[in-house]
Parts: sequence; structure tokens; C-alpha cells
Amino acid sequence: MLKCTINGVALEVKPGTTIIEAMNNNAQRIAHYCWHPGLSVAGVCRLCMVEIQGNPRVQIACNTMVTEGMVINNTSDKVKDAVKWGLDFHLINHPLDCPVCDQAGECGLQDQYMEYGQYDSEMAEKKQKKHKVVDLGPTVVLDSERCILCSRCVRFTDEVSKTNELGIFNRGDHAEIGTHAGKPLDNKYSLNTVDICPVGALTSKDFRFKQRVWYLKDSETVCNGCSTGCNVKVYFNKEGLFRVKPIYNAEVNGHWMCDEGRDTYKFVNLGARLTKAYQFVSGTWIENYAGAAAKVAGANLKSAKAEEIGLVLTGQHTVEEYESIVSTFVNTFKTKNIFHWVNNKESFESFDGILLRGDKNPNTKGLLQVLEKHGINASWSQLEEGLKSKKIKHLVVAGPENTFVYPDLEQKMQLFLTAENLVVLTAAKTPALEAYKGSNKITAIPLKTYIEKDGTFINFQGRAQKFKKATTVVSEALTLSDAATLMAGQDLQLHVASPREVLVAEHIRADQVHLESRTKNEFVFNRGRL
Amino acid sequence: MSVVKQKDESKEWYLIGITTGLIITMKHLLVNLFNKKKMITLNYPEEKYEYSPRFKGNHVLTVKKDGSIRCTACMLCATNCPAECITIKASEHPDAQVEKYPISYEIDMLRCVFCGFCEEACPVDAVRLGPEWQTPGLNGSNFTYDINHLAYRPALKGGVASIVDDQDRHKAGI
Repeated sequence: MLKCTINGVALEVKPGTTIIEAMNNNAQRIAHYCWHPGLSVAGVCRLCMVEIQGNPRVQIACNTMVTEGMVINNTSDKVKDAVKWGLDFHLINHPLDCPVCDQAGECGLQDQYMEYGQYDSEMAEKKQKKHKVVDLGPTVVLDSERCILCSRCVRFTDEVSKTNELGIFNRGDHAEIGTHAGKPLDNKYSLNTVDICPVGALTSKDFRFKQRVWYLKDSETVCNGCSTGCNVKVYFNKEGLFRVKPIYNAEVNGHWMCDEGRDTYKFVNLGARLTKAYQFVSGTWIENYAGAAAKVAGANLKSAKAEEIGLVLTGQHTVEEYESIVSTFVNTFKTKNIFHWVNNKESFESFDGILLRGDKNPNTKGLLQVLEKHGINASWSQLEEGLKSKKIKHLVVAGPENTFVYPDLEQKMQLFLTAENLVVLTAAKTPALEAYKGSNKITAIPLKTYIEKDGTFINFQGRAQKFKKATTVVSEALTLSDAATLMAGQDLQLHVASPREVLVAEHIRADQVHLESRTKNEFVFNRGRL
Repeated sequence: MSVVKQKDESKEWYLIGITTGLIITMKHLLVNLFNKKKMITLNYPEEKYEYSPRFKGNHVLTVKKDGSIRCTACMLCATNCPAECITIKASEHPDAQVEKYPISYEIDMLRCVFCGFCEEACPVDAVRLGPEWQTPGLNGSNFTYDINHLAYRPALKGGVASIVDDQDRHKAGI
């Protein structure tokens, strides 16, 4: 370990650490654009200037290794002056587009201008005009004027996605980011370039102009797009979800996520959701409350014979929910006819070498573990035979919430519809059910999606990742555990938090001493005693 | 509230109080009859009060030289609005130089408090509070003004041109 001092704080860092890494790991602020912890060092923005004792000039922190006994400082006037002028050079050709620019509000240039800005620019020349709204590919739009040529996106396509689509063309102030003729930026990780762009030069076609970022709240969760289980942040407001961005987790996804995972917010929004429970009785659909419909469905199951009941589960729910519904079926309904619905079986084991996995369910491992725990080994062919021979008459299906990755959805629904009494627990609208014209009984009950509940996903490595509820989209929807409780004939136990829990618990200091007598109203009963 | 009544001999004389009041009334009546200029009330529907041109009345969306709407849908007015009465939907403009424009811009006039913060927040002089203030309506009339009403209502005679012009700014190299 090397000893160094940064801004007066003595630190120990590993040999080979650059100054900017040491500062970043120890919560020291430093201006930078081109340096990104997940990419190689370019050293082009010249903003991460630091003063090193014994060195007459300021150095860039991203490309200077820490050596034994180094004394580093980035708060001196000399450094601030260097950063100020560096920033002024970046802004020579940067347009005053902030009202139109999507990055405004989370822009590195805005932040650093507020801190280090040379507020009266000394440039008299006209700004260089470049291309605006350049279509780079199916997902990304480029605005060359706003680009500060930090080359993060170019390094990303070189080093991470290894597709080499982007490059810097021309020289001097004509330099522009661009793609080679006939080769658009079209890879499965292209939207990461939008995330790492420190200015608004690269914007996502999907999110462009939908919302200003300061209207959005964020919440950390786990992506449910595939079995990798990337750690992500979802951005939402009362109108719904708007985008998904990756957060750093060295063990799972590093800094990145795939473009498919960024679409996982779409099935959560109200337009794609089942909002009420519906019962198909004697040829018409009747609207009902979700809880009431679950109770009716449960009563029907209870009066049925155990071997006539079946349950179909997909790998899209949480471990807690599986545990709850499987134990309800095993203990209350006394059946072990629990089947695992596997989508796109052929590509199940495939992996693209970066993040994307063929298993498009976040929690297949969790489901298998719960089924194993309860000793269930029913096969899919048993279900098909059971439905054909009318052995299974009552079927409960916990459908997928991400219906886009279930190409066999329509076909499987037709299979399930042959059951006399079908209960579909699903978050998504299901056209196959709506089109049904027959005599079987159907109940559709709305479920919550992964954004709306607490839970655990177990990813392909067997790593259990807990996540918390972010927001509510369909307030009436049930979790699978709620549905299981109601179907078993019990009532939901609502946990009503006391004001003390809500208001006080968050504000209790770790070192605060609790006195028994203080729990009462001390000003009335114990005045003068404390 | 407790009031202490003070005995005053003169107030016990009823007739004096009545006549003093009547004299004041008569004085105003006579002044208004013979000197109309000093009268402080207006015959409202016929006569109207002239407010200062800086009066903050109903909003106006300004237009560019070619008559299209100046607003760039940056949402700063909606962000700054304390009454949260502005709703904007942005979209991609076919012209790359304009880039972003509002496809819908609505102000709920009944929520608006006419504070003028929207005007202050606007970076491109696109929204102003105009001098118009008499906008009564019957039951069921719509006080959520849409983008067409705000920019092109008949009283504006084809729209108010903004002092800021994009073409000029681009030529100046901003």
C-alpha cells in the first residue's frame, strides 16, 4: 500500500491507482469529463487538474499514478484557475441550448460551470456550427454542436461492446463524433453511450423530450429483463415510468446494462396493465375487485378435488411470492401439480459474452429452489396430458409481467383455456383471454410488477438480490403472496405503521439513548423528573 | 373583543349625528353632479379603466417572424409556476435548428395566480402576461387555454411577435 495525502487527508491506496481513482474512491470531488471508471484513460478533457507537491505545473489526475508520499491538492487557486480556463475552452463552441437539451438538469457541463465557470467568456469569435439531430442508429441521436469530444462513447464501442461503430472525424474545431458510412450505431448496448455522455450530445430516442429530468424521481431496483439481474435505477413520476439506467455493481453488471433491459419499464406503465379483476361467467365479462375475485376463485378451488387443481408458474416473480403460493397449494389445496412454464427453451442457456442471457426471467433459479424445497417435480407434459384428458379442471396461472419475452404466450393461453376453471394472475393485458368465446369459467386478477413490490430475485449465479418497492402504478393489483393468502380464504394483514414508526424511526440517531419514561408524554406526567 | 364605552355628551344628541351624516352624503352627491371629473366610480360596461401596459393579465404566447410559436418547450415556466397551472407536451420539430417545440401548451386560468413567474423564467421570451383582463365566462365555459388560444386568439391579431429572433441569434453566432 502506498501512502499519500490528498487535500490534507492521509490515504493509503493500492499501487497502480491513479490519482483520480484515489479521489473518487475516497469521496473527494474533482472535475472531469473524459475519465470514466469503466473505460480506459484518454486524458483529453484536461479538467482533472491537480497540484502535486514538488512539481512546478499542474498535472492531470486521471493519467498520473499515485507514488509513495505524494502530496496532492486540487483546491488551490492554481488548480481552480486551470480548470476555469479549461472549461472556457470547452465552452467556446458549445451552444446555449440548455432549454432544448435533454441533458439539462443532469449535465456535467452545467454542474461544473456553476462551480468553476469563467462567467464572462473572452471569446469574440462566432461559434462553430455543426450538425444537429444526427440519426446515429435505431436508438441514439447525436448533436455534434454540444459534443465536447471527450471520446467516452468511442472508447465504449471499442472496449466494452467491441463493435467499433463510433469514431472522431475531421480535425481541430471541425472534429465530430460520427459513424462510418453504412454502419449505424446498432448494438445491444448502444444506450450506454447516452448514459456516459457527460453533455447532451448523445440522447436516447426513446426518452428524448418525454420529460425534463428534474420532474423524475429515482429508485434503485433489480432489472427483470433477464437472469443476469443487473442493478438499475428506475426513473418515474406520477404519470408512470420513463427510463431505466444501470448502477454500478462490480459482481453483477459493472457499470453497464443492455438496451433490452431499458425497455423493461414499458410493461409496467398503465397502458399495458390489467387494472381490474374480470370474471368470465356465462358468456360475459364482469368487472370485480381484485381481492374479491381472488376470494371467489379460492372458494372454487377449495371445493374441488386436490388432483384436479394445477398451478403454472413463470420465473418472473419474487422468491417470497413463490414460497407463499407454493406452500398454499401444497398445504391448503393439497396438490403437487405445480408446473414451471419455460419460455423460449432453445435460447435458455445462451449468453452474449457481456450481460445478455437467453433466460429472459429474472428469477428462474429462485423458482427452481422453491419447487425443490417443496419436493415438486411435475413436468410440463403432465400438464398437457392432464388438460387433454380433463384430469386437471382447475388451473391457476401466474402469468409473466414482461409479456414481450414470451413468444409462446398466445399459444400457451389457448392451452390453458381448455381448463374448465381458469384463474389467470397477470400484470399485463392478455388479448387471448379477451377474445375467448366458450363456456369455461375464467377469472383474471391483476398482479403487481417488480416496481411495485419488495422482494428477492436470484440471478443465474445464485446471487440473491433484494429490492424495494419504487412506486405504485395499479393500486388495486395484488402481489402473488396476497393472491395466495386470499385464495386460501384468509384476510390480508395490512401493516399500518404507527406515526412513531413513520416519523420518528427515520430520525432516531444511532447513538440516541431510549429512556422508558420518555415514551409517555413527559411534559404531562413526568415533568421535572428527567 | 371588549370595548369600553366612553361617555360623550354630544353623542347622546341623536339629531346632530344624523345631520352630520346627511351633510357628508349631500356633499358627495353635489360634487359628483357638478364636477364629474372628480367622481371616483366608473360606468363600467361603457367606460373602462385604463391599466398600465405592464399590467399582468391573461397570458400570450409570442410568435416568430414566420408566425410559428416561439416556445421551445423547455418547461421552465411550468417548473417555476407556484400554482402548477401550466402543462406542456414537447415533441421533435421537423426542422433540426428548432429541434424541440410544444405540441400542447395549456394554462389553467382558474388556477393561475398571475404572479408572472412564468414570464420571468422563460429564456426565450415566449410567454408574457398581456394587458387583457376581462374574460368572463358562463357556466361550463373553458378556462383551460390551449396553445392556439394563447398564441392566436382574435384579440392578438395574428400573434404577438417576440423581440428575440432565432435567425438573428444564429447569424450573431450565439
